Amino acid sequence: MHFIRVFLAVLSCKLSRWAIRLLGRGGTAFPGRVALKICPDVLGVVSRNVRTILITGTNGKTTTSRMVEQAFIDTKKSYFSNKSGANLISGITAEFCMNATLTGKAKKEFAVIECDEAASKTVLKYLKPEVIVATNVFRDQLDRYGEITHTLNNIIEGISHSPESLLCLNADCSLIASIPSHVKNPTVFFGLNVPLERGDAKVLSDAPHCIHCKTEYEYDYRTYGHLGGFRCPKCGYSRPTPQYAVTEITAQDVDSSSVNMDLNGRDLFLHINLPAVYNIYNAAGAAAALDAFGFQRAEIAGALASFDCGFGRMEKFDLEGTPGRMMLVKNPAGCNQVMRYLAALPDAAMFVVCLNDKDADGTDISWIWDADFERLSTMGDRLTRVLVSGVRAEDMALRLKYAGVPADRMEIIHDYPTLVERMCQSEDRVFIMPTYTAMLDLRSTLQKRLGGKEFWE
Amino acid sequence: MSTTLRICHLYPDLLNLYGDRGNILCMKQRLAWRGIDAEITEVPAGAKADFANADLIFIGGGQDFEQEVLLSDLKSGKDKELKAAIQDGKTVLAICGGYQMLGNYYETWDGVRCDFIEAIDFYTVGSRERMIGNFAFRCGEHSGGSVVVGFENHSGKTYLGSGVEPLGRILAGSGNNGEDGGEGVRYRNVFGSYSHGPILPKNPSFCDFLLQTAIQTRHPDFCLEPLDDRFELAAHDAVLRSVLPDSEKSGI
Repeated sequence: MHFIRVFLAVLSCKLSRWAIRLLGRGGTAFPGRVALKICPDVLGVVSRNVRTILITGTNGKTTTSRMVEQAFIDTKKSYFSNKSGANLISGITAEFCMNATLTGKAKKEFAVIECDEAASKTVLKYLKPEVIVATNVFRDQLDRYGEITHTLNNIIEGISHSPESLLCLNADCSLIASIPSHVKNPTVFFGLNVPLERGDAKVLSDAPHCIHCKTEYEYDYRTYGHLGGFRCPKCGYSRPTPQYAVTEITAQDVDSSSVNMDLNGRDLFLHINLPAVYNIYNAAGAAAALDAFGFQRAEIAGALASFDCGFGRMEKFDLEGTPGRMMLVKNPAGCNQVMRYLAALPDAAMFVVCLNDKDADGTDISWIWDADFERLSTMGDRLTRVLVSGVRAEDMALRLKYAGVPADRMEIIHDYPTLVERMCQSEDRVFIMPTYTAMLDLRSTLQKRLGGKEFWE
Repeated sequence: MSTTLRICHLYPDLLNLYGDRGNILCMKQRLAWRGIDAEITEVPAGAKADFANADLIFIGGGQDFEQEVLLSDLKSGKDKELKAAIQDGKTVLAICGGYQMLGNYYETWDGVRCDFIEAIDFYTVGSRERMIGNFAFRCGEHSGGSVVVGFENHSGKTYLGSGVEPLGRILAGSGNNGEDGGEGVRYRNVFGSYSHGPILPKNPSFCDFLLQTAIQTRHPDFCLEPLDDRFELAAHDAVLRSVLPDSEKSGI
């Protein structure tokens, strides 16, 4: 009888997705929920025989997925991915059902799947990826996820359901690097052998204490946040040596970075088609996963040099002649990296922040006080104008006042069409930093004005 | 006033979860804008505290992971010193976990009890449901009487001992326990609250009342001059409108 349930689940998933598309919407979660209702383990059936790379972690999931996916595109592989941020069990189930026959047989050979860190414990009960990439764990949406160790435990629980998967772990994240002490999976590590900050630098750390014995870590060097060459002086837990290591950052500018990598014993020069340090981490993770999956070095380098992420990940816009970039922020660690990128730019810039506090953004906005907006004031006169918007614009403006942004350069604009109008009028580059739901609203306003494809395509 | 306000930031390494840095930043700036220096001394776990030479002690909120470290550090002597400082009339701002820590104990919902420093007569009991969201309360007369807005996120329900006053009365949200309408604690010069957000930046009247309390222990006649609080009040009023849509009409 099970195959009838599978048949009905896949059928209703396809029908409801088709109906939703007919209505002109981009819903991805609902068809998956329908399928799961009819057949709770349908994901296990429709994902059988699909060679999958799954990417999870707090920051960098989407970007890493796009990097990995580019290699599948370039080599014309038969693959699919969950593109539109449908990264919970429902969205992932829907994507697999859509790529299966009505009898539940996979139609594609490969899948590149981004998975929400909290959802991984459920998803991995059914989906057995060939490779699992874990990017990092940062403090994020405490109102939803609770403590940072809770997030880590969700990932560990998920992995324990899939003991054959090759783990591709961030060696520099003391939380992620502790996963092998709980599971027996084959494991490789990636990381940055590049001291970006001194070991004793005062930084915002989301994990200052040893995950095993709670002693404060010491650092040989830091890269950002709690990432870096950590070691526990008491129990000896320390950063594992990564087989996939960035050995040198040779260039960084407004649009890209270039690095040298040790790719499990072989040298690889990478030109990464996105700027900022956190994308170097994403590239290292993607390169490790692709190499482990059997891709050639030239294919890996080609993918990283040409991928296009979009969807608020350093996404480029042409604001009627003014270059703009949108950088989604979700938490203090990610936000600090955006600040660091902005503060290092040589040219004048307009900065736009849109802060919402809806469920998908996190209803608690206290994190803006932990993020290092003070870096903005180090830009001095290069920061020509700051526009503040979103449901919590007033809180954001107050934060910027305390960060030292001059009041006469700051303006609260709640209305998005007016906001976009002002961005288009800017003579300087525009950097837009929205939270998740603010990004959705802002993108739709931008699309109305500038044209462009719908985000779920 | 050519003086310095000495702020002791207790456990910045352990209790720093909800933008607590914003409270320090806010106190420092609001003093600086009035020409008063703030000297911030961080006292992490393992370091010796000198509460006697502080004008104001700030304790933030934290997560359970580090709680053992915190409790064992308190037991090494800081508990008695902090208690003595409170009895002595030191001004203290304590948020969430830092607030709970000043009470008698915390009991989890399944009955595990964790003893705290017993500086003030109250206790906290864990519940399965979290009290979470934007909220507002009005401070009592002894705390300046202003309306404070913030964000609460706690599963502990706090019950004050008889004769112990709350910091304020809830206008919207849960506060101490969601039952008796009280929020936080007010005892000698201690201000305890579940409000992070963080509490001080968008509640300038409350912040100034706190700073003035601290300054007046050494300079009894000192009054802080008013500042341009347009940004602060805009943020305050926006939250108040969202939790109490009729607030303007009813003149809160």
